[in-house]
Amino acid sequence: MALPLNFNQSNKIFYMKRTNLRIKLFYNILTLAAILGFASCDSQLHESPIGIITEQTPPTNSSVVYSVKNTYQLLSNTLNIIGEWGWDDGTVTRNDFVLQDIASGDMMKKWSPDGDQAWMDKFSDFSITPVNSGIKGQWSYDYAGVARANLSISYLTDLELCKKIALDETLRKYMLGQVYFLRAFYYFDLINNYGDVPLVLEPIKSFSDASKLAKRETKANVTTQINKDLVDALTLIPDGRYSDNTDKWRVSKGAVLAMQAKVALYNQQWATVLSTINTLESLNYYSLNSNYFDCFDQTKKFAENEDILQANHTSLTTPASGNGLCALMGWGFVAPTTNFINSFEANDPRLAYTVEVSKKQVNKLLGTLNGTNSGNDDAASNKIYIRWADVLLWKAEAALETGDNATAIAYINKVRQRARNTVTVAGTAAPAGILPDRPASTDKATIKSWLVSERRAELGFESQRFNDLKRWGMAKTFLNGIGSNYQDKNNVYPIPQTEVDRTGSSITQNPQY
Amino acid sequence: MFLSFFSLVMQAQTVQLKGTVKDALTNEELIGVNVIVVGTKTGTVTGINGDFEITVPQNATLKVSYVGYKSQEIKLSGASQTTLYVKLESDTRAIDEVVVVGYNAQKKSSLTGAVSSVNMTDLAQRKVPDVAQMLQGQVAGVQVTQSTGAPGDGINIVVRGVGSINSGTKPLYIIDGNPSESISFINPSDILSMTVLKDAAAAALYGARASGGVIVITSKSGKSGKVSVEASYYHGIQQVSNLPKMLNGTQYMDKMEESWNNANPGQSASNPYTPQKSRTDLANTNWLKELFTPGQTDNMQLSISGGTEKVQYYLSGSYFHQNGIVVSNNDEFNRINFHSTVNANLTNWFKVGTNLQIVNSMQDALSSSGDAPGIIRHAFLRPPVISVYKDPSDPTYKASDPYTDLPFYSTNLQNNGGKWNNSNNLYELSQNPIALANNTNDKRGSFRTFGNVFGELAFFSDKSLKLKTNLGVDINFIHNKAFNKNYGDDDGQGTAIYAGQGRQNRPNTLAESRAQESTITWTNTATYNKQINLHAISVLAGSEYVGYNNSGMNGSRENYSNSDPAFQYLDFGNQNLHIWNGGTEVKSTLFSLFAGVNYNYDNRYYANVNLRRDMSSQFAANNQTAYFPSLSAAWRISQESFMKDVEAISDLKLRISSGKLGNQSGLSNYPSLAIYDSQGTLRRLGNPDLKWETTTQNDVGLDASFFNSKVSFTLDYYQKVTSDLLLPLNLPTFVGDLSPTIVNAGKMTNKGVEISAGYKNFDHAFKYSINANVALGSNVVNELPATLPSIYGQVTKTEAGHPLNSYYGYQMAGIYQTQAEIDDYLKGAPHSDIKPGYIKFKDLNGDGIINDKDRTYLGNPNPRMTYGLNFMFSYKAIDFSMFVQGVQGVERWNDLKKILDYDTRPFNHTTSTLDSWHGAGTSNTIPISTFADNGSSNNSSIFVENASYLRLKNVEVGCSLQEVFKKYKNVLPNIRIYVSMQNLFTITKYTGLDPESTNLMDQGTYPQARAFLFGFTTKF
Repeated sequence: MALPLNFNQSNKIFYMKRTNLRIKLFYNILTLAAILGFASCDSQLHESPIGIITEQTPPTNSSVVYSVKNTYQLLSNTLNIIGEWGWDDGTVTRNDFVLQDIASGDMMKKWSPDGDQAWMDKFSDFSITPVNSGIKGQWSYDYAGVARANLSISYLTDLELCKKIALDETLRKYMLGQVYFLRAFYYFDLINNYGDVPLVLEPIKSFSDASKLAKRETKANVTTQINKDLVDALTLIPDGRYSDNTDKWRVSKGAVLAMQAKVALYNQQWATVLSTINTLESLNYYSLNSNYFDCFDQTKKFAENEDILQANHTSLTTPASGNGLCALMGWGFVAPTTNFINSFEANDPRLAYTVEVSKKQVNKLLGTLNGTNSGNDDAASNKIYIRWADVLLWKAEAALETGDNATAIAYINKVRQRARNTVTVAGTAAPAGILPDRPASTDKATIKSWLVSERRAELGFESQRFNDLKRWGMAKTFLNGIGSNYQDKNNVYPIPQTEVDRTGSSITQNPQY
Repeated sequence: MFLSFFSLVMQAQTVQLKGTVKDALTNEELIGVNVIVVGTKTGTVTGINGDFEITVPQNATLKVSYVGYKSQEIKLSGASQTTLYVKLESDTRAIDEVVVVGYNAQKKSSLTGAVSSVNMTDLAQRKVPDVAQMLQGQVAGVQVTQSTGAPGDGINIVVRGVGSINSGTKPLYIIDGNPSESISFINPSDILSMTVLKDAAAAALYGARASGGVIVITSKSGKSGKVSVEASYYHGIQQVSNLPKMLNGTQYMDKMEESWNNANPGQSASNPYTPQKSRTDLANTNWLKELFTPGQTDNMQLSISGGTEKVQYYLSGSYFHQNGIVVSNNDEFNRINFHSTVNANLTNWFKVGTNLQIVNSMQDALSSSGDAPGIIRHAFLRPPVISVYKDPSDPTYKASDPYTDLPFYSTNLQNNGGKWNNSNNLYELSQNPIALANNTNDKRGSFRTFGNVFGELAFFSDKSLKLKTNLGVDINFIHNKAFNKNYGDDDGQGTAIYAGQGRQNRPNTLAESRAQESTITWTNTATYNKQINLHAISVLAGSEYVGYNNSGMNGSRENYSNSDPAFQYLDFGNQNLHIWNGGTEVKSTLFSLFAGVNYNYDNRYYANVNLRRDMSSQFAANNQTAYFPSLSAAWRISQESFMKDVEAISDLKLRISSGKLGNQSGLSNYPSLAIYDSQGTLRRLGNPDLKWETTTQNDVGLDASFFNSKVSFTLDYYQKVTSDLLLPLNLPTFVGDLSPTIVNAGKMTNKGVEISAGYKNFDHAFKYSINANVALGSNVVNELPATLPSIYGQVTKTEAGHPLNSYYGYQMAGIYQTQAEIDDYLKGAPHSDIKPGYIKFKDLNGDGIINDKDRTYLGNPNPRMTYGLNFMFSYKAIDFSMFVQGVQGVERWNDLKKILDYDTRPFNHTTSTLDSWHGAGTSNTIPISTFADNGSSNNSSIFVENASYLRLKNVEVGCSLQEVFKKYKNVLPNIRIYVSMQNLFTITKYTGLDPESTNLMDQGTYPQARAFLFGFTTKF
């Protein structure tokens, strides 16, 4: 180990040689290190990314086509479209049944009260605060829909891109029409729930985009944009009962017209409501089914006459697109309030089609009459957004508001007639004398009360009544009457606290929240 | 070689000398003692029995020296002396062990930073499979926790408090020069020492990855001399302890009846539970007793080491097996380790070596914590009135699946026309934990090759310049495979095509994944050491390349028609539906340059400067480079002339250090770029300005030892400020559903005091030592960005001015006793849903309404004090050691309590609910039992518990056979037998299963077991 003490000449030479060898070795290593280390490291530090799709990855024909289908997803009840079991974010499924039906006093969270998902109960008694999961979830769903629509619109209006990816022009227009419609749909839900909301019309590219957009646009301005999108959609979507005979769930011309009518109705533009619905009637796309339940029956979907806009659920598909609300029903969610059950006229067959209390079975939302689908997170029953009976009652309302009492009563009676002629859930004919035609009347208030109760019975659990109560100015009186603490401020829900926080309060809170 | 040369020159006057060196006090043979002929460079070292052989000139003077002992010079008495017997006296004052601090080693006396070194032979009494567990309670400021007791589950190490909100907080491990994120694969017996670099002084050389501290691990290596063989074996038995007491069958039925009555006042006549009480088929199952059985541990180990002056080797093999405390053999862990270390001195100036570990491990993973499927949780929840097995006479009984599932399944079917009707069910739909345990089949395999080769060139006669190149590899093949067998009762739900199948895992699935993870590290260093008079200088410079690559594939199929293990392969699942597969790859590169200078004057004044420059591929091109400097100094007061006469003080040193460290762990790949999913949806925006999280750490420390180093004492005060925290910043949701983008924002401070003290007395036959350490720490978040004023977890909130992840919710004020009390208290709003017996929360803003504006901070999960205490003694043949460890000042969210005692579903409860409120004045702490929400669905202080604990971790008693049977000393092998007991008792107020669990929410964890082990070690 140690060097010899008194080495002779030969040792010295030996030592020198070794030293030379050592220096040579050292230089070799150094050179190698320099070449391998520095050169290769530098290039490795700047390699282009692998295994991810970044902003530099150009869209393809199929990704553009898919972007349209992707925009529909937020309409569905499929579980976990956003996040993974995000109960605290209210994103497990679309919250219409909470924000609309529980809020309206028609629905309770569960058949037996418990502490599960307590945020839903806050809609029963209107103790809703800005941190409530439900309002957060609905906001997320609608704005995710808007963002996907914006991305799709940005592709489909980029003619250069569409040419590059060889996108068929007819298809391009049709697809563009659909996403315009969907954007309008999501914004309409947003203004009804939250009032003034941020208006985002393009995909965001950076943080600064987000802060530029962080302000609430007036409800009126958003409505203008909604109408514009619907007008554009109407010119782009082809005629026909279905716009696409393969994908019958895609937005049709009828759906666009119905949506225009609904927007006009919510803005009390009665003439527009009437003219739009007249156009719809003249197209002869829709009529009332003979059986009230047909438009909910999962075995009859796209083989009945009434549905205008629906979210299509399918089992065993990838990605999953089943009706996840059915899973929640299997866990005891979704139950009627006593007030709702009692609001039906005697022997109205629609009650049992909506909910069979003895079996604790919400048939309308399950899409079946024998309890099938309960507990199934992949059920094929559809979610109905707009159907013909609803449209007929809009016409009744617009007629009433424009003094045409006869038409109003006639249209209410159309809906009643179908109801009384529907066989009961048990398959037997309904007892005679139920749901008689409303007689002629000139008293607007009476006719209005008929309309109010007809809409509640016909459209129960279809997420219509809460908005109806609000636009009729009845919400406070009615809800206070059934023990809910609804106040004037509740005409709009609070803006989710996260939005206020994440924009440094550039997004302001609704008054008194 | 040189010996033969020497003997050639001086043949005429030489003599062949044989000898032995022993400890003057203990008479133990000393291995590796230097024996040198004074005035020459001739020398040798003692072998395994303390013996040496050397050819020396007649009348030579020999110098016998050994670290920690007083050197002796012995003049030989001429040609007649051919043997030499030396007894060395220990020199406690001179102890100056060498500590490996990373790229180089330093004398302990010259350290200027907060460095704690742990000698593994002192920890041999801890019979644990994971090296990390051995560190527990040994080093002040290093918190080691085991979040579950399941075999093979991970151990967490946190050095000086959680320093990051979102990024990783793990320390960086350097194993024989190779960086690693994990140490759990190592066989503890193969380790020689562990060094914890707590502050920035030494850790700055590891720059961007060192903010969580650095733990340097050195493996054992061979010594020249005789072959040494060591063999050991132990067997252990584990038993669950400290289980909460649950309601029995009768108590459960009474409780359910009571809860129903309270939820449906005035309707007790129609209470469905009342008639159920007289059922004859009610069982009385103690699910916890059914679930836990004694666990078994076996560990065997064999090592051989030795070598010549030219080549030394250490070879070892070990096998560890544990079958956990849950019934069935699906909670096992197996590990096989091979380790070889070879060092060769090719020439006097060129040294090469290799260190290679091959580890094969297999974990049968069981749902050890958390919600789903949560075996432990279900054993608590499941009603005791349900039996474990169905009666063979039950029409739904199947020999292949004999377990009960849905409550009273066949009765329910009979009453409902052959179909399960849940609305007629009165019992909780829990899972049968025994069925879960038996049907779990989730294997996590890893085959890891970890090691390095190095070459070292020395220059100049004094070897003052050394160049070293080290190539390290860490290649891990991961193979996970889980078969989720279909079982249980058919509840009539689920997708139509699987109708008739049991409700658990419907349909059955097989999920399999394979991945290859590799890290290549290439380090080149140059060190120069020079002593000129009283000035000593040591310079280090180097470069390091770390290349990381992880690629994997996974697949799954479902609905296997045959779930026999012979067909549990992807090929045999459904061919048409739900065929899932996936795969991707991740790469990253780190390239660094570093340098350090140590200087000391007269072993009195020390100074140290380090600088590292890191370049990381994870950041955008303009932010890839960062510098991490540190500066430290020490003053060894005891070396001053005015201190020389103070006999009591053996050593006294004051240290001060400051530096910056980085953190980039936990970053997803390419955080600077926007990412889209395969459908083209934007998933996340990028942050091109992203850079490292930076921790600035200052430390002042004092090392002292007294009375010939019998008493030792170390004190440190540190302040660790983390800035530019890597925070996931969520954009407002109105721009779409985006994953958060990582930004640099905010600031957090950890500070604390660490004290360790020890006393040892080996002067007499009764030798004993006691070591204690305690660390006080505090954590506070100083700043968060304006657009992220607070970060909410499920039960926590993080906000500037408060500790990280503080528990947040309603403060319980008591229980509402009367309706009048409620009406007065909640006058701000209707409150028809609040009844007497419900939990009363503090109305913090006094508006007569309880809502989220009344929430406040409820507790702090960051421990304020951690401590450890080791005591050992040996007397003749007997040795004894004891280790106590604990945490004082910490809160934990006991989520199991929430679901057990306060849920609104018919779960089983603990017996504490027997004292629930049942009328005005009956209880102000335990709310009414009811199926309605009694306020317990709110996050409140009722679930936040003090989780301080003191645990007797380990007691071991050993005995050396040779010492007992001294007469037969030469016949008997050198065997030590021992008995060891772990987790003998725990003192705590925490009512959950294990106060040591560090999950923010304790949802029912696989508990740490009490263990009894016995074994032996032998050496020859």
